[in-house]
Amino acid sequence: MNIDNTASQMRKGVLEFCILSIIKLGEAYPSDIIDKMKAANLNILEGTLYPLLTRLKNADLLTYRWVESNSGPPRKYFSLTEKGAEFYNELETTWQQLANAVDEITGKKN
Amino acid sequence: MVVPIEETSYELLKEYIESLRQYFAKEEGRNEIINDIESRIGELFQERLKKGATCITDDDVNAIIKNIGRPEDFENEDGGEPSAKASEANSNSQSSYSHSQAQFEWKGKRLYRDENNKILGGVCSGIAAYFNIDPVIVRILFIVSGIGLLVYILLWIFVPGSNALVNGVRKRLYRNPDGKIVGGICSGIGSYFDVNPWLIRALFLIPFITFFFRWGHVGPLTFPHFVSFTFSPGTFLIYIILWLVIPEATTTSEKLEMKGEKVDINSIKNSVIEEMKGVKQRVGKMGAEAGSFAKERGAQISQEMRYAARNTGSALGNVIVTLLKIFGYFILGCLAFALIVALFSIAVVSVGIFPLKDFILNNGWQTVYAWGTLLFFIGVPVVGLITLIIRRLARIKKANRMMRYSFVGLWILGIICFIALIASVANDFRRTSSIIEQRVALTNASVPFLTVSSIDNNNYHRYNSWFRFEPFAYFDNDTAYIGNVHVRIEKSATDSFQVGVIKLCNGSSRRDADTLASLINFHVYQADSVLMMDRAISINTTDKFRNQYVELIVYVPVNHKVKIDKNITYNPIRFYGTWWHDNDWDNWYHEDDYYFKYGETYIMKRDGLYTLDGIPANKENDYRRNWDEEYDDNTPLTNPENYRYDKPDKLDSLTNEKQLQMQKLKMSIDSLKQVKQREDQRLKDSLNNAKEKLEQKIQNIDEKAAPTQAFIPGNREYNLLMHI
Repeated sequence: MNIDNTASQMRKGVLEFCILSIIKLGEAYPSDIIDKMKAANLNILEGTLYPLLTRLKNADLLTYRWVESNSGPPRKYFSLTEKGAEFYNELETTWQQLANAVDEITGKKN
Repeated sequence: MVVPIEETSYELLKEYIESLRQYFAKEEGRNEIINDIESRIGELFQERLKKGATCITDDDVNAIIKNIGRPEDFENEDGGEPSAKASEANSNSQSSYSHSQAQFEWKGKRLYRDENNKILGGVCSGIAAYFNIDPVIVRILFIVSGIGLLVYILLWIFVPGSNALVNGVRKRLYRNPDGKIVGGICSGIGSYFDVNPWLIRALFLIPFITFFFRWGHVGPLTFPHFVSFTFSPGTFLIYIILWLVIPEATTTSEKLEMKGEKVDINSIKNSVIEEMKGVKQRVGKMGAEAGSFAKERGAQISQEMRYAARNTGSALGNVIVTLLKIFGYFILGCLAFALIVALFSIAVVSVGIFPLKDFILNNGWQTVYAWGTLLFFIGVPVVGLITLIIRRLARIKKANRMMRYSFVGLWILGIICFIALIASVANDFRRTSSIIEQRVALTNASVPFLTVSSIDNNNYHRYNSWFRFEPFAYFDNDTAYIGNVHVRIEKSATDSFQVGVIKLCNGSSRRDADTLASLINFHVYQADSVLMMDRAISINTTDKFRNQYVELIVYVPVNHKVKIDKNITYNPIRFYGTWWHDNDWDNWYHEDDYYFKYGETYIMKRDGLYTLDGIPANKENDYRRNWDEEYDDNTPLTNPENYRYDKPDKLDSLTNEKQLQMQKLKMSIDSLKQVKQREDQRLKDSLNNAKEKLEQKIQNIDEKAAPTQAFIPGNREYNLLMHI
């Protein structure tokens, strides 16, 4: 068994949830999202983020608009769709349940 | 946005993006993702430039790559692991391990269905990944071997699917879009097996060619039926199937895979450069440098390919390929040779016939058709072949598409012209004239003996012996002579010789044919016991050649002799009639009934023509006679049983005839002499009388006149008389 493997699996599980929650707070572009995640100690590579965002967009959970910038190419600003908001709520419930269960099993919670 | 960047850095960047591309190969929004990442990289570049860098360096690129991350570090759905043990994202790696598949390790390879590479169920792809060969090959084998849908479904059900199979195949079967004529299949196959695509094309075309040959009944070259009938639609189907199944090599890496070269940054770069060069060649003029460059490159690449092929192929495969190569080359060679020979011979013949054009063709449409046929139908393939050969020799790759289409178009036009020409000319020969016999008046119809000979005309001797275009015997600029002249011997109903002439001709309608027939120039006249006739029919360019035919019928009375000279005609072949039997001639005339041998004297008896030895004149007897002559010189020429009349009588009668004629001649000569003598005598007498009278007068004058030395006309007269 590989610790990195398992750890990676754990991270993969929550990545979507985290990203959606960041975007929920407000329109964000990928660079921004990465910075915020880094601030919260959850490092993610751009190469991981972009495909994820694209997938979410293709699933109609996210939408974006182009914003011109004078310091470089135009940027995509992502925001949640309605469907995305619903999805997020469900995820949040799931997370809560999961977190509680794990805490209980590991004895953190009595 | 223009970013100054160092070349090595650029290479690094390119490599990186390519690896991203590979990694995201199966991702649905791949292009979007790549675009996003590239935009991000661009942004980062801008930042650095703004900060004062003049140019992007390796360090910058590496930093950025670290920032964004390497593909193996990504945590995406289809499994990247941040661990260093993960194999390269390059799907063409030689690794035979698949990515982390399940929670347990396994030793050795398992058969999975390839979920990423599937067309139906990924069965063939899985098998291909297991054996490290091109899934396309597996699919083809599946279809061709007829394993069956049931087996496929069973495999589909029972073989587990995997998302992470990596196929270590190096050389894949693709359709080659660069060298394609129809679908690029033969080109791709050729590239895979490292043979010339034209061989493959020949192999595909063989059943069709045999089809054609069978149709044409070319002697020993008829292939058996089943080959052409089963293989040609089959081959067609196979071609279509292959077209559907084999993917086309669009991207550079796919093309490299097709050729079996290693797909990495260098080879991609080289082939892209080459393609750019190729584009330049296509756009620019085809110079000699381009040719030699291509040759060099071609030689180099083909060498590399050969090495690659040797490494990947097995010994048996090589043997099979070589055999097929030889076979294919042979077929191709025969094909090409036959085509070229046919083409050039048609060209030569048509050029040779050319002087006769004016005699055969009407002006107007027919001439147009003839020119069109010559130029397009014959000329275009010749020119096309020559250009093809030149192109092959110079190794210039791409054929100009417009040229190809225009060649084909012109050739089709030539075919149309050719068909029109044939139809038009055949129309003029459609009908035959009616058979009318004209009697020729003989000056002396009761000669006992008639020889038929030809009017000696110097022209006739000069015909080309190497070029005989039947039935033209000779031609020059404005007249042509047609040797369609024949003689027939029949029994006369009366006691005297009779001669009939039948003139026949073809035309577009019966009336037309009759008109033309009456225009035929044919002379026949009698000179004592020789019947002189024209040796050939002369036509000029206004009355065209329409298969004119003249038959001279000599009616020989019974007990009279006849001989036909050998110099009568050029060729004993009869050319009369049409191709479809709608003429009366065939019904009316049977050649063998009127047989005679040239140069032989015959006598007409009550029941037919006989030689002087008493043998009836027909082919069989002559054959037997020739046969006897060859093998037995001692036996008498004739069989005693075939005697009808006594031999001495015959000879005697012949000599008698001769003597009679001689006598007659003598008599006539004598009588003429006598007549002449008499006349002479009369003249003499009258002159003598005149002389006496004059002498008397002179005496009178002498007596009367002085003794002048007078002019004595008498002497003169006397001298004159002496000279008479």
